[in-house]
Amino acid sequence: MFFGVWIIHYHGGLFMPPIMNKEKCNACGVCADICPTDVFRVLIKGDVPDIRYPEECWHCNACVLDCKQSALTLRIPLPAMMLYAEAQREG
Amino acid sequence: MQRPRERDKGDFRNTGGGKNPMIDFDKEVIEADVLIAGGGIGGLMAAISAADEGASVVIAEKANTKRSGSGATGNDHFTCYIPEVHGEDIQLIVKELFNSLLGGYQDVSLATTFFQKSFDRVKDWHQWGIDMKPHGYWEFTGHAYPGRPRIFLKYAGASQKQVLTDQARKRGVRIENHLPLTEVISDGGEVIGAIGISIKNDEPAIKLFRAKCVVLTTGTTNRLYPAPSPGWMFNTAFCPSNSGNGRAMAYRAGAKLVNMEIPNTHAGPKYLARCGKATWIGVYKDPSGKPVGPFVSKPTKELGDITADVWNSVFSDYHKSGKGPVYIDCTETSQEDLEYMLWGLRHEGNTAMLDYMAAEGIDLRRHPIEFMKYEPFLIGSRGIEIDQRGETSIKGLYAAGDEVGNFRADIAGAATFGWIAGKGAAERARAMKGFQKAGDSSLAQDRAKFYSETLGRESGPSWQEANLALQQIMNDYAGITVRSETLMKAGLKYLKDLKRKVVETLKADNSHTLMRSLEVMDLMECAEAIFLTALERKETRGLHFRSDFPFTNPLLQDKFMTIRQEAGKAIIEWRDRR
Repeated sequence: MFFGVWIIHYHGGLFMPPIMNKEKCNACGVCADICPTDVFRVLIKGDVPDIRYPEECWHCNACVLDCKQSALTLRIPLPAMMLYAEAQREG
Repeated sequence: MQRPRERDKGDFRNTGGGKNPMIDFDKEVIEADVLIAGGGIGGLMAAISAADEGASVVIAEKANTKRSGSGATGNDHFTCYIPEVHGEDIQLIVKELFNSLLGGYQDVSLATTFFQKSFDRVKDWHQWGIDMKPHGYWEFTGHAYPGRPRIFLKYAGASQKQVLTDQARKRGVRIENHLPLTEVISDGGEVIGAIGISIKNDEPAIKLFRAKCVVLTTGTTNRLYPAPSPGWMFNTAFCPSNSGNGRAMAYRAGAKLVNMEIPNTHAGPKYLARCGKATWIGVYKDPSGKPVGPFVSKPTKELGDITADVWNSVFSDYHKSGKGPVYIDCTETSQEDLEYMLWGLRHEGNTAMLDYMAAEGIDLRRHPIEFMKYEPFLIGSRGIEIDQRGETSIKGLYAAGDEVGNFRADIAGAATFGWIAGKGAAERARAMKGFQKAGDSSLAQDRAKFYSETLGRESGPSWQEANLALQQIMNDYAGITVRSETLMKAGLKYLKDLKRKVVETLKADNSHTLMRSLEVMDLMECAEAIFLTALERKETRGLHFRSDFPFTNPLLQDKFMTIRQEAGKAIIEWRDRR
């Protein structure tokens, strides 16, 4: 049961936007402070922020832009994939 | 790594709160001449101008003013009138505003005031470090018709929120981040303070404010209707944390809302919801490569393709007819213009989309991008009614930006009327003596009880459930496909049923979910105002399509409908455009 909760919780944190590289993160907390949608939470001061509400990511990229450690990237989820065509060429 | 502790779930009740904890009141009551709800563009500009007038100013912000709201990561178009570019006739430019995507549901008097003051704000921003002429001159490009004046100034706004935050702090403005306001407290038709909730920690705390004036600048209202991706409520073009808080607070306090029945939609890339139509330099085309609009056939940096601004339903019309999809085609755009466009998209805050395109190998020189119409939402010209000083129908309560109902100019409107509202509020505060005791308000006690009940429940629906239930009612009964008296009366009944269930059963775990729960309550407040006013407008106008009144009545062309609450009853009135 506990493991199940852990998996669900961490599945979100690891595989949905945003993605945190914990090796690079220095736990400064800027991402949690500036996120417009409160996706991150700092559980214990000095700890790596928890990506607690990944489904509330707006894909604004503020955390990626403001992370001085370059520890964050976004993965745009499949339902928001951009749709495009190959250009029509005459002849 | 061990993943621990009940606290991970964000349930503060497990940290000793007990089964039915009473939410804490923070002991400090904050006093301010001018209290501002929301530190977006409008809120920061209101703060700056109020502080310049000598007022003590506090911004209560849901996130962090450096990155909050729809301008979080930038913008690149600022509507304005610059006499040396446009000539002396300001009314020509007002006319152009009404013919643009910003639309005609506004008071001419407010639009004129806006244009008279907009250039001053441009010069302020430029002086403070937001580059308003990044190419060395006042450059107006995009959102434009061939042969007509262009009113959108191109600028480099990627760092606009940081710059404005610094300017506010420099003037001694106190910024309380992670502290959204939830109620305006009024007494005898006059504002005396406000209630907020600190979400800094998992355990929420009520914060009380005594204020001589309150400025509402909480932005657009999103999450009312289903977003492009079903169930993915935060994939929205404008900031999804903006959820009608200001409109709902104003309405509950007795202020007038206006134009709530007129829907508005935005458009952009399918399915990644982003703003920025006019930043794209291309031509909207059908699958055979034929332009869908009458304005441009070759990409032009000066014009963009205004088709989607003024033929709002072009994407869905083509789709429904089977002739779609419609693409923005940049394959004939010159390399120089392409670079200009990518620069613009970066400054507009679309870096996530650009990163995604690079990673996926989407190359605008080869790949037309499908566009779509997004879901309805409330932006300027649907919201709180203000006067020339930015004041609402409640004394001491001001509003600016995307939540104003009788004016719209998006970011430039927020900057200019934010400035005006801040100045008006500071001048009013200066003439007042002391503060009223907002902390003694029965409203604060009543709200504390409701918040505590919501937090204390062992089980019940989450805010997500409530939000999705609301979205499907709005889509089916007050949507943009069809509206009628029978549909809307049924929908209003369902909305009231939902609201009652939500009030009685909603469950929140912590400060974050309490905030989201209250957002849904505010969304339902806006929804009710939409239903009531849409029932009353017995004609078809714009996206307000009444199947029982398909005619657009010219006699209602310049009539605005307001709605306000008095003793719990909704009062609807018509007035002339001013």
